[in-house]
Amino acid sequence: MTRGKLKGAEIVVEELKNEGVEVAFGIPGGVLLDLYDVLYKDEAIRHILMRHEQCAAHAADGYARVSGRPGVCIATSGPGATNLVTGLANANMDSSPVVALTGQVPTAAIGSNAFQEASTFTITMPITKHNFLVTRTEDLPKVIHNAFYIANTGRKGVVLVDLPKDVLATKVDVDLHPKETFTGYKPKIKPNPVQIKKTVEVLANAERPLILAGGGVISANATEELRHLAEFLGAPVVTTLMGKGAIPENHPFSLGMAGMHGRIYANRAIGECDALLAVGTRFSDRLTGWQLDQFAPEATLIHVDIDAAEINKNLQVDIPLVGDAKLALQDIIKWLEKKKTTSPGSVWVQRIREMHSACEECIGDVRREGASISDMLIKEINGILDDDVIVTTEVGQCQMFAAHYYITKKPRTFISSGGLGAMGFGFPAAIGAKVAAPDRKVVDIAGDGSFLMTCHDLATCVENDIQVVVCIFDNRYLGMVRQWQELFFDKKYSHTGLGITPDFVKLAEAFGCYGERVEKPEDLKDALHNAFESGKPAVIDMIVGKEDKVLPMIPPGGGITRMIGAERCKPI
Amino acid sequence: MQAHIISLLVEDHPGVLTRMSGMFTMRGINITSLTVSPCEKKGLSRMTVAIDGSESELEKVRKQLSNLIEVVKIVDLKEDKAVIRDLCLMKVHVKDSNARSEVMQLAEAYRAKIANATLDSIIVELTEEPKTIDRFVDLMKHFGVKQLFRTGVTAIGMDTGGGLER
Repeated sequence: MTRGKLKGAEIVVEELKNEGVEVAFGIPGGVLLDLYDVLYKDEAIRHILMRHEQCAAHAADGYARVSGRPGVCIATSGPGATNLVTGLANANMDSSPVVALTGQVPTAAIGSNAFQEASTFTITMPITKHNFLVTRTEDLPKVIHNAFYIANTGRKGVVLVDLPKDVLATKVDVDLHPKETFTGYKPKIKPNPVQIKKTVEVLANAERPLILAGGGVISANATEELRHLAEFLGAPVVTTLMGKGAIPENHPFSLGMAGMHGRIYANRAIGECDALLAVGTRFSDRLTGWQLDQFAPEATLIHVDIDAAEINKNLQVDIPLVGDAKLALQDIIKWLEKKKTTSPGSVWVQRIREMHSACEECIGDVRREGASISDMLIKEINGILDDDVIVTTEVGQCQMFAAHYYITKKPRTFISSGGLGAMGFGFPAAIGAKVAAPDRKVVDIAGDGSFLMTCHDLATCVENDIQVVVCIFDNRYLGMVRQWQELFFDKKYSHTGLGITPDFVKLAEAFGCYGERVEKPEDLKDALHNAFESGKPAVIDMIVGKEDKVLPMIPPGGGITRMIGAERCKPI
Repeated sequence: MQAHIISLLVEDHPGVLTRMSGMFTMRGINITSLTVSPCEKKGLSRMTVAIDGSESELEKVRKQLSNLIEVVKIVDLKEDKAVIRDLCLMKVHVKDSNARSEVMQLAEAYRAKIANATLDSIIVELTEEPKTIDRFVDLMKHFGVKQLFRTGVTAIGMDTGGGLER
């Protein structure tokens, strides 16, 4: 399709619209004036002005995880682009589809150390799935199209497009909306039938099958298939942090998150199973613990992943199955149903039910003996938030409290920084989540340390009427590091104390947000009610025990079934 | 540890070399030699990468390489099924006419060319398998190697593979 002579910036916006982009999170700058001039005139794309580029990237990431569509962020050259880096690395580590557009100095000035010049192309190469430095305006249609195609197919990820000022300003005659892609990029989607048959053989004969669901299940929209397979097979489901929401955690076959801060019975099930079907996970060290020989030692390991490079990378498996999680699960179900009748009455299923109800009882018992204030608060939250609420988390103790205790019931409602563990993620991700799902409530489970890293974007929320509620676990510590110092470094709290400032309620009010302090867990319900009723973005400052710990946990160097602090769990 | 040679067809884009070498750095793998050149098809380049590592490391490298968008094709070249060559240019010190004739004789034995000669040095040129070059260089050290330049290996599969046809 030809549209006569178009400016590079106009081409970019036309292609964005063609890719279905409705919103972009960004901050303008000198080299982006042409692009922002087009965004000013063309209202098809809603631009949300952020207060820091890191937040723009996290917001685009949060938007992508909630909507399932690529998120878009925009930053100017030099510092704008370097500020994006953390957010992009985070999205890429968690296979979240994000397209980043960055301004660049004019092509003739590249390499001259011009004002606000940084080599964004080389800086972002290792933290993106792919990136482009566009040197000719004519290339823009193909580049933008491929940016979205690459970001949102195969193993999803981040694609960055670096746009020099003159490329955006030049007018050319060009065909829009090309279809051509790269010859070398052919994501493998269809699973190999031979591997499917091997898988089915193992699962059909297993006495104690277990399903491990990672973020890939959610990303591939395969949660229905997963649940069906679990029920048919009589297999419990444990998840990774990224897989939270792959199965409703109140389902009798759900054992919750496994791993370093996982639930004890999730980890035990991994220790006990004789067949492990891992779907869309990369066996990160936060899942497996450090003693790989203790990870599912009795099981035949089956690994379904869309990225062949993940097979045998962190863990040697018996049956690799490369392909899309949804298609693989569909194929497995189809063949399994021909081979096996459902077995819901087995000893294993009985054990799963016991393990599930032990956890449920523990979590439902808010004031259980030995519970810290943090434990009580996160348990309270379960009773307050309805199933549709989107929960994002910051990084650290607050994140692990939420991962461990918060009962996630739907996919894409638990948004957390898994691979990179980037403090400051939760709040801007909540902004992106709210923009993607304006009719739903969005709550950021935060820590005081994490929230302070990106709290300035409260301004963005107020100015754009984005109502997110931040619940801060306020212990005036960098709590997770403090916990490790307490447990493994003789309580020498080296540089983890945060002092007494700020007053988070006043901070919220200074931005024009609603703020309330909660001193007792039982007051949280009213505070959350007040926050939602205020109609404003809100900050709830929850005062927790300064030395509250997230337990149980796998100690450093330990294996998955040897957790410390497990005595607080209900024994079965 | 074992030497492996990987032949790649890549899109001829700016930055593709950085992306390739960056991948190796990121995964903690040391490249022992790397050559890049145009190939039979316009718009594509051929890279020959030599690495030291185990079979499983090689497998990981192959998979990571195939994840790079601009990599069109990857061939793992086995030593016995490929023609492998390295080009060496070496300035050898010759202290007298005796030394000069000895160097020239040895060069002839190895089928190396004399590319230039001065009164006190000879530039020899040898295209051979890397191991043969290693041996020749060791011999020349006896006379004194003033400068040594090697291009790094390039290799071509003997079977029908290695090109675009597969």
